[in-house]
Amino acid sequence: MSDKSSSRTSTFDRRAFMAGAAGSALVPMTARAVAQDANEPVAQDPSLPVEVTLRVNGKDKRLRIDARTTVLDALREHLKLTGSKKGCDHGQCGACTVLIDDRRVVSCLTLALAAEGQEITTIEGLATDDRLHPMQQAFIDNDAFQCGYCTPGQIMSAVACVKEGHAGNEADIREYMSGNICRCAAYPNIVAAVKQAAPEIMKG
Amino acid sequence: MTAAAPEPKANMGRPVPRYDATAKVTGRATYASDMPLDNPAYAFLVTSAIAKGRIDRFDLDDARGVRGVIDIITHENAPKLKEAKLFSNGGYAGTTIQPLKSAEIAHDGQIIAVVIAESYEAAREAASRVKVSYTATAPSASFESAGTTTAAAKGQNAQFKEDPVVGDFAKAFEAAEVKLTASYDTPTQHHNPMELFTTSCAWMGDNLVVYEGSQYVYGLKNGVAEQLGIDADKVRVVNPYVGGGFGSRGSMTPRTAIIAGIAKRLNRPIKLVPTRDQGFTIATYRAETRHEIKLGASRDGKLVALRHEGAEISSRPDAYCVGGTKTTTRLYACPNIESLVSIVRADRNTPGFMRSPPEVPYLFALESAMDELAVKLNMDPVELRRINDTTTEPIGGKPYTSRSLMACFDEAAKAFGWSQRSPQARSMSDGDWLLGYGCAATCYPTQMAPSAARVRLQRDGRTRVEVAGHEIGTGAYTVIAQTAAERLGVPLEKVAVFLGDSDLPPAPVAGGSNSTASTCSVVMMVCDQIRQRLFKAVMPSDSIADKAKETVGISPAPSTRAAKGDRPLDIEKAFDALGVGVVEEYGEWKPEGAPLDSFRALHAGQPRFVGGHQMKDKIAYAFGAEFVEVRVNRFTHEIRCPRLVGAFAAGRIINPRTARSQLMGGLIWGMSSALLEATEVDERNARYVNDNLADYLVPVNADVPGVEVIMLSEQDDHINPVGAKGLGELANVGTNAAICNAIYHATGQRIRSLPVRLENIEV
Repeated sequence: MSDKSSSRTSTFDRRAFMAGAAGSALVPMTARAVAQDANEPVAQDPSLPVEVTLRVNGKDKRLRIDARTTVLDALREHLKLTGSKKGCDHGQCGACTVLIDDRRVVSCLTLALAAEGQEITTIEGLATDDRLHPMQQAFIDNDAFQCGYCTPGQIMSAVACVKEGHAGNEADIREYMSGNICRCAAYPNIVAAVKQAAPEIMKG
Repeated sequence: MTAAAPEPKANMGRPVPRYDATAKVTGRATYASDMPLDNPAYAFLVTSAIAKGRIDRFDLDDARGVRGVIDIITHENAPKLKEAKLFSNGGYAGTTIQPLKSAEIAHDGQIIAVVIAESYEAAREAASRVKVSYTATAPSASFESAGTTTAAAKGQNAQFKEDPVVGDFAKAFEAAEVKLTASYDTPTQHHNPMELFTTSCAWMGDNLVVYEGSQYVYGLKNGVAEQLGIDADKVRVVNPYVGGGFGSRGSMTPRTAIIAGIAKRLNRPIKLVPTRDQGFTIATYRAETRHEIKLGASRDGKLVALRHEGAEISSRPDAYCVGGTKTTTRLYACPNIESLVSIVRADRNTPGFMRSPPEVPYLFALESAMDELAVKLNMDPVELRRINDTTTEPIGGKPYTSRSLMACFDEAAKAFGWSQRSPQARSMSDGDWLLGYGCAATCYPTQMAPSAARVRLQRDGRTRVEVAGHEIGTGAYTVIAQTAAERLGVPLEKVAVFLGDSDLPPAPVAGGSNSTASTCSVVMMVCDQIRQRLFKAVMPSDSIADKAKETVGISPAPSTRAAKGDRPLDIEKAFDALGVGVVEEYGEWKPEGAPLDSFRALHAGQPRFVGGHQMKDKIAYAFGAEFVEVRVNRFTHEIRCPRLVGAFAAGRIINPRTARSQLMGGLIWGMSSALLEATEVDERNARYVNDNLADYLVPVNADVPGVEVIMLSEQDDHINPVGAKGLGELANVGTNAAICNAIYHATGQRIRSLPVRLENIEV
C-alpha cells in the first residue's frame, strides 16, 4: 500500500484512501505526498498537498492539490474549467455532473484522486471543432434552460441518459433525467431536447 | 418551430433563440463564482447553532491549528462596518441583523465566524473545528410560539401604506344571502436558486470589485459602499449571468460587506462559496402566512362583501411584509370590502421577496375561497368569476388599463376540456384514482421603474447596448437585443448586449417583473435618439427633420424606413454627413408618474416603482387563468398532477419563446408550492430542519408530465412605451388554489393548508 512506485494510472481504491486519511500512516497508492523524504513514512495528514494527474477532455493535467479536493473543485478552482457547477456539493442537485469513463458522475462527491487514470469529460469538452454536440444544439432549439446554471449538468446527464438507452420514450427520459434539478423548471423543454438529440447521438 | 418557440400572434415579437444560448450550453457563461481571481484566499462561514442568546466565547485553537488557515474572523476582530439600512427605509439591505457586530444571536444560522484559508478544503475543515460556547434563551419560532409580538403592518412598514377598505363590510356581510368564512395558511419557503449565495471580492488599491449573483447590481454597489464607508464610485459589482434569483438576490445580504472588509484587511482576493444549508439562513425566504377570508354573496353569485385578513412572520428587528390585500381587494367587483394585514415578530432571519411575494399566499386564500363559494352557490367556478369580473377596481374605482381575465378563463377552459367536468365532488374516477379538475385566477401588477441605457451604432450596423440589467434566466439579453434590432432596423446578429455590471448605465432591480418593461423602454428611447441624429444629418431641412422626429416616437413598430417616403436610411451616408465613426447615445427614461427624484435615486441604487394599483387614475395588472387535473389514489392517497394548463395575457410579448418558458416554469413553481415546497421549522429551536435539496422538495423532471401554456394576444397602450406587462411572476400565482380546488373536486375534502401531502388526504 505504501509502495509509491505503483502505477499512477491504476484504479484508486476509495476504501484504502479513507483508511489512510483516517490515520493509519498509509498513503493512497496513486497519490504521492509532496515534499516528503523518500525514506520517511508518508504522513497521514490529509491536508498535505498531493500530486495527481487528471485526464480532462482528452488532455492530461498535472495538479498539486489538497487530497480532499473533489473532481468538481479540481476542475473549477485548479483547472479553470468552470462550466461544471456547484449547486449543493452533496450530490443532490446534479449541476456538477460530468462523465467519467463515459458514466455520469456527480463530481462534487468524487475525489479528484479517485478519478486519476480515468477519462473525465466536462461540458467544455463536448463540442468538437467549434461544432456543437447534438445535445447542446437540441437544448438551444428547445429552450431547455433559463438561468443556465444547471444546464452543463443537465446536458452531460442527457448525453449519458441517451447512451444508457434511457431515452426511448418521454416517461423514461423524465425518470432518468430526474437526478438533475432545474429550479427554473425547464423540464418539458429538457425532455423535448433529449428526444430530439437521441437519434443523432445513437447514430454516433 | 418547436413547441418551445410558438408562432407569434398579434402584438408578439419573433421567438428567436436566446442571445446567451450558446454560452449557456457550452459552459462559457460565467457566473459570479466562475470569475477568475488572482491567488484568492477561501472563506468558509461558521453559523450559529442557537436561534436566540449570545456567544460566551470562542475556542479557536483547534481551528487555527489546521494547515493553511490564514485568519478567523469573529465579532471580536471583524472589520467595522456601518449599519445597513433596510431597502424599505431608504437603504439597500434585506435585513438589519448585522452579524459579527456583537455577541448577540438573533436567529439560527446567523453568521458568527468566517474562516479564511489557503484552500477551500482547509477553510471547511477549520470551520468545523471552531468551538463556540453560547448562553441560549428559548426562541419564538413561528405563529404558535410563545413570545411573539403582533401588530398591524400599517405604520411599521413604510411600503405598506394602507389596508384597503371600501363601503360597509360588516353590514353587508351580515345581510348577505350566502356567506363563507374560511381560514388558510401557507408555509415557509426558500427560493433555492441553483447558484449558491457566493461572493468574491477583489481590491485594486481603493477600488473594490464584487462578483456576486445579484438581481440589483446598483443596489449592491451602493449598499456595500455605504457599509464600508467609501464612495460608491469605488465599488463595481459584476455578474453577467445569474444562476436564478426568484427574489433571493434582490436586496443586499450581510455577507458581501463582510467579505469585502476581510479582503481589504488581508489585501487579497477572497472567494466565499457558502453551503446550500447556509443559504437558508444567510439570505431571505418566503415567510409563512395565515389568512381569514369572509365572502358574502347574493344567491345569483354577486359578491356583496369581502374581508381578507392576513398575518405574516417577520424577524424581531425588521417589519417585512408582502401585504397581498392590495391585490385581493381589487380583483373582483364588490361594493363592501375590508382588510387587515398584521406582522408577527419571531426569532427568525428577516424574510424577503420570493417570486410573486404578495400574490402567491394571498391569492391562495382568495381563490380557494372563491371555489368554496362556488360550491355553496352550486355554481361553476368559472361562471362565478365571470359574474364578478370588472373593468374597474372596487377600492378606488380606477379602470384597469386592460384586463383579459375572462378571455384567459375561456381559452384555458377550452384547451383543458373543462366542459368534460362533472360538477359534483368525488364524481370522477379512473380505476384506483379519484379525478379532480380545478381552476383559479392569477394576476400580477404591471410595474415599471426608471432606467438608463447607452447604445452605440457603428457604420456597418454593429450595435452595442449597455444597461446594468440582469440576466437571471428571464431572457433579458434576448429581449433587449430584439428591441434594439427592431428599433434601429439592424440585423439581430449585429447587436451585442452588455448586462450585469454596475459600471454600465443604471437599471432597476430585477424584481416585481419590471425588467422588460423598464429596460426595453429605455433602450427604445435611446435607439430613437440615434435615429433622430441620423435622420437630421441626412435631412437637414427643418420640415423633413420634423417629419423624422414625428416618426421617432414610441409607436410599436418603427423602422429606419419610417421617414422619407419609406426609403431606408443610408446609414453610411448619415455617418459621413455627421463626420463620426460611431454614433453613441445615452438616455434616462422614467415611467409616467414617477417621482421627481427618480433619476437621482436611479443612480443611488433605489428603484422608484410605478404601476399596479399605485398609478394615477388607472390600475395595471396582467391576468391569467389556470386549470389543473389532479389524481388522488383512493388507497395510498398519493397525489399526482398530470396536467397544468394556463392561459395568460400580459400585453406585448417581445419573445414568445422566452415568455413561454417563464410561464411554463411558473406553472411548475405553482404546482410545487401546492404539493411539494415547505421549509419545516423546528418549534423548539426556531431552526429550519430540511435545509438541503434532498429534503426541501422541489420538482424534478418526473414530477412534471403535462404543461400547456397559452399566450393571448393583448395590446395595452396605457402602461409603458414597450406595452409589455411583465410575466415572470404571473404563472406561479393561483396554481396552489387551483390544485386544492381540484383535490376538493376529486375527494370532497377541502384543504386549506399548504403544502398538500398524502398524509393530509382523508378519503
